[in-house]
Amino acid sequence: MTGRCPEDEKGTGVRKDWDALLREVWAKVREGHLFPELPQPEWSDGQERVALEIKDKKIALSRPFVERMSENMAEAEVMEGLLDHAVSHHLSCPWDFPTHMRLYGEAKKTLKEPRLAQLATDYFMDVVADTYVMRQRETPLPKLYEQLQRDRVDEAIHALYQRIWGVDLGIEGHETISRRLSRIPYLDRQRWTDSIRRFSKVLHSLLVEEEEEQDGADEDNPMGNHDLQQYSAQEVESGLQDLAREAASPAEFKEIVEDFEEEILEATEPNEEGMGLGPGRSLDADVLYYMKLAENYALPVCTMPTRKSGSLYPHHHAPWEVGMPYREIDPWTSFGKIMPGITQIWKRREGDIFGEEEDVPDCLIMIDSSGSMPNPKRHLSYAVLGAACAAEAYLRRDARVAVYNFSDAHVGGRRNLNYTDHRFDIYSSLCHYFGGGTRLQIEDIEALQRDDVPDIFLITDMQITNLAALIELFKERANRVTAVHIGDNDSVRTFRRSMAPRKNVSIFAVEDKQSIPAIVLGKVKEYLYS
Amino acid sequence: MKNPFQDFRSVQYRKREIPLDRIVREKEETLELLVQGYLQLVEEEVRDLVWLVEESKVEKAYNAAIKRIDGSQYDPDDIDEFCALLDSSDKLPYLISGPAGIYISALVNCAREDHIVLSPKDYERSFHFLGYKLPEGKTLVLQGDVGDFAGSGLFGGRLIVEGSAGNWCGAGMMKGEIRVANNTGQNTGEWMRGGEIHVDGTIQSVGTKFYGNTGYRVLFGGKIYQKGKLLVPRALVKE
Repeated sequence: MTGRCPEDEKGTGVRKDWDALLREVWAKVREGHLFPELPQPEWSDGQERVALEIKDKKIALSRPFVERMSENMAEAEVMEGLLDHAVSHHLSCPWDFPTHMRLYGEAKKTLKEPRLAQLATDYFMDVVADTYVMRQRETPLPKLYEQLQRDRVDEAIHALYQRIWGVDLGIEGHETISRRLSRIPYLDRQRWTDSIRRFSKVLHSLLVEEEEEQDGADEDNPMGNHDLQQYSAQEVESGLQDLAREAASPAEFKEIVEDFEEEILEATEPNEEGMGLGPGRSLDADVLYYMKLAENYALPVCTMPTRKSGSLYPHHHAPWEVGMPYREIDPWTSFGKIMPGITQIWKRREGDIFGEEEDVPDCLIMIDSSGSMPNPKRHLSYAVLGAACAAEAYLRRDARVAVYNFSDAHVGGRRNLNYTDHRFDIYSSLCHYFGGGTRLQIEDIEALQRDDVPDIFLITDMQITNLAALIELFKERANRVTAVHIGDNDSVRTFRRSMAPRKNVSIFAVEDKQSIPAIVLGKVKEYLYS
Repeated sequence: MKNPFQDFRSVQYRKREIPLDRIVREKEETLELLVQGYLQLVEEEVRDLVWLVEESKVEKAYNAAIKRIDGSQYDPDDIDEFCALLDSSDKLPYLISGPAGIYISALVNCAREDHIVLSPKDYERSFHFLGYKLPEGKTLVLQGDVGDFAGSGLFGGRLIVEGSAGNWCGAGMMKGEIRVANNTGQNTGEWMRGGEIHVDGTIQSVGTKFYGNTGYRVLFGGKIYQKGKLLVPRALVKE
């Protein structure tokens, strides 16, 4: 909202240029905060009760609010106070999306209820941001707070301000709460996690009372609500990666992000690079956790110097049997005789032309989700993380990924996903947990085989009942196989021994997060057919 | 070329001291003193990280704790924060529930305030010996469940447990009152010499003390009430 105010409401006849006034105040505030990288604030048609909003780093002041407050103090002072508050949120607390989420996570651990945790986080961030301003520069914030309408929690917070700022805001009472709150080191960033826990604990009963009085109705914060709109989509994306990396378990990550479903979904809509969950999805925090965690790793994928010619070429011999076409008979190896068992025919295959162009083939990910593997929804599963990293690596190279998730495959414990580049489908298949025994269905894997020889990524603890069948399959196949085993046992040693002569099978062990980056996908000891 | 920092020259930038700085600084100093006192107590009283509950040891540890905190200026908020500090294992090298509880009790008993509220429900660990030797005229309110030996050796004070107490609640108490909103564990009131224990929930077992070989079970003295009804002493019960 821009433009001139037609006439001063006080009837002085002086026409006010609100935009010019805002520019003037902003210049002063900017200088006071050492020129933060923020765009020029704007006016909004906001409510009379809510002073400002921040969207994607852009501050918008509510003109009705400023006009109302200017009855008791100068407009420039109101604007300066509001801008100080908003800029301090950007410069001190929360500073960024992950910090906001971390604070919320700690508050929720203490208060359990999402709504109460949000309120406590908002109040805490306000106290920190305003206290930063108070320590760093002369500000009209106390004057502004003196004029604000207050509910009971606001009163307690303002009583706290009286104590820690040494100002008089006209508050009486709330002695115990404000005394206990005043002991928190708000300006010590390193201790914010402890501080917000203590802050929430002290404020708990008051927040509950306030919520009960309001009967669940959302009461706006006069100094602006702290929703996630203030962060850019990129900030949310990278912040989620940080949070996933720091979370001790998927459950901890889920505990925080599921309360911000709408905002996060909005931010993780697919963009030009094709990232994000995909259109029309609901937020699955487990999927999002592994997705964001996997984005922290960049596994290398070896390219293949192959280009298909599309023509069929004689590839190897097979014994001729009655009924087979005569034209494929190779007279040189058949000793000039047409006789079953002696006569040889040529078997043809699509030919490869080895040129300078290199490409990454599609990948079939085989993941073991039997009972011996951890449930990825409860604990961090290295199997799912490893498979997710592999999927990311192939998707980044424009290849497609198929998933074969198995446990007791012969009794239905399996999930097949055909080759796709839809990340959500891939992650959903990877995160699915069956439990139970471990038995592969070789036919399922054969069904996902293709003529263009996709790579195979296998991740398991190798305690597979029919491991021998799998070994035989890998011996027969020319696919580049990256086999990753979790832990060490007799089956792992058997598999390693059996695969030792195979040049197209590389085996890696994963013990913890640190061993994942060592995986090289599609590594072969030397190129086949070369 | 224009100096890119030209604009900053006019900026007067200095941090102001606000009351928060002083409050936090004083609190940190007090907590540091309390922590040092606790660590010294543990060093002196706990050998090989093993601490056996014996009457003489408990008494000795309590006296040592009183000596450590003698002259310290602190308030109930400091005690509460000290408990939180003990609870978060990363802050202190080790926590041994017995001496920790005795030290907290000594802090409570020597505090200037007569009414102190602590919130064990906020802590993950449980402290034993809370309310140990609570003197006359003092009230200690413990919000949440507490560990063993709550209110042991109570010396005329009033201990209110807004939760459950563990085993040996009120053991050896001399006088005063213990009120437990929920349950108590085994040996409630063992060696009790006087005072009253009121339990609103269940009592797992009452303490026993045998004299000679009369075959009769009696307590030293004092009264135990369960849900408002006098439980001990009843008429002497034949074993």
